[in-house]
Amino acid sequence: MLEKAGTAGQEKQKQDHLKELHAAILTLRAKRERLFAETAALKDLKDKLDQGLPLEEEETDDFMQLEQFLLKSRLMQLKDLQTVYHLIGGYNLIESKQGKSVCVSFRTAFEGMYLETYNLEMDLRRTVQISRHNIPPCVPLERLAKEHLQADFKAFLEILSLHLNALAGRKQQVLLIKELIGTVEIIERNQLCNFLVFMCKIQEETEAAVLCTLEYGDLTQCLPTRVTIESENKTLAESPQWKKNQVLLMESPVHSALLTMRKVGSIV
Amino acid sequence: MGTMEQKLNEELKQLQREIEVCEAEQDSYVRSISLQHGEALRGVLQTLYNKKEKGDGTLKKDVSKLITDITDTEKDLRRQTNISGITLTECCVKTLEKNERKTIQQYRLTGHCCFLSFQVEFALVDIQDSDSSLQKITDLNVILDGAEFKDLCAFVSRVEETKSLFLFFRTLRLFSERCKQRSCTLQYFKEKYPDVVRLPEGCRSEVMMIQSPKLPGCTMSIFWKISVSKEGVVQPKLELLMKMPEQAQKMDTNNVMETAPEAFRSLLKIFGVEASIESLIKSVCF
Repeated sequence: MLEKAGTAGQEKQKQDHLKELHAAILTLRAKRERLFAETAALKDLKDKLDQGLPLEEEETDDFMQLEQFLLKSRLMQLKDLQTVYHLIGGYNLIESKQGKSVCVSFRTAFEGMYLETYNLEMDLRRTVQISRHNIPPCVPLERLAKEHLQADFKAFLEILSLHLNALAGRKQQVLLIKELIGTVEIIERNQLCNFLVFMCKIQEETEAAVLCTLEYGDLTQCLPTRVTIESENKTLAESPQWKKNQVLLMESPVHSALLTMRKVGSIV
Repeated sequence: MGTMEQKLNEELKQLQREIEVCEAEQDSYVRSISLQHGEALRGVLQTLYNKKEKGDGTLKKDVSKLITDITDTEKDLRRQTNISGITLTECCVKTLEKNERKTIQQYRLTGHCCFLSFQVEFALVDIQDSDSSLQKITDLNVILDGAEFKDLCAFVSRVEETKSLFLFFRTLRLFSERCKQRSCTLQYFKEKYPDVVRLPEGCRSEVMMIQSPKLPGCTMSIFWKISVSKEGVVQPKLELLMKMPEQAQKMDTNNVMETAPEAFRSLLKIFGVEASIESLIKSVCF
């Protein structure tokens, strides 16, 4: 008896599921028909325009639809531009509360890879004030705001974006070391990623290793301002090859410097 | 029962695919209309805007809403242009691939930053998984126009190699900012001391010559380079070069000719660019 009720229940569930599927299909079919018709009308409009035929200025339904397509076309163009600005410029501003506050979202990227987005809401009544944000505490936001916010809003956005991008870039470099060069061991790094210590193995067989310390004195940059090379083998650390490596680490992102060093046989 | 469900699911998927294709087709028509028929578009839009302003009741709600959206977006774009310092004159988007998980779009942008014009092409890959999303740039191509750019070659190839779109525009902005500063300063001195200062290649170039009518044959040339490192660090570099006729050189007991460039470098460090140039000019004028 119980079993029967169970199967009946299952049966009902199945039926319901099928009904749902049916309904979804019907909706999609209708949508498809609408889209097909719209696309055909659009193509018609495009052909007309391509042939240089005038658009009839009549208050017909057809013309109304034409108008809508043209408006959509303009809007699409503008939206594309908006997307592009966000892709190339790094920040986006949205006014809210009837212009009383403004939201800025900062995108960060490193070498073609888009990383975290941070948001900042500012109160524009009387003096500009930061009301809410999700910027990591290690970024000196307060100092930057004090120095730039009242005097030059644009400069403030620029410098903050620089800080956020540099932070994201330094973080990403550490990730890339782990991903690309497995033999390098990260000994120490901090939240701001402006201090990085790692150990490079020199040869596969021996324990010979070099300790590199990278300090990033300029928080708006992805490149270190100081590189120290240490090794138990003093002559190695002082060798011309490692002097070259030191320069390399100063001048290029750490993961690509390490890849080059591996290529020339400095590390394994 | 199982087969029935299977059949329905298949139809559902098929419909979704068809709709995606159709939407992509629509997008491409819509984009090509705005790209190729900007004139016609503007005409119709203007008529519609006027209607809306007059409170014409014949406008449908959808149309009215679209017009509001357009005006808002235009306003936002003006702000973006203003804040980024980058003006885009053409933007062409093409969808190369689109499905539930992955979208690839190709962008071609033409524009300028100050008086430096650029053309940039890239593809944006957008991958959406249930728990993560990823956006990355592939196939970046940059074309720059103008003499100012000859020092940027190494940087541009590095940018293309690493697909650093952000870095490119940030550096372009900084670089053009510095170029603008330089041309403003050069122009300022040219106007202030028209008899002494010469800009042989115009105010946008890197050379400024100081020649006093009282000291014929003596020239001080300032070379004001704006260097951009491979990693995009922009740095102005100023050098002084002295030229004196041989006779004057014999009288140069203090060896000014040789020590001047170094002295100018120290001057720059202490007083900055403008005050240093000013004092240099005054040294020959008075």
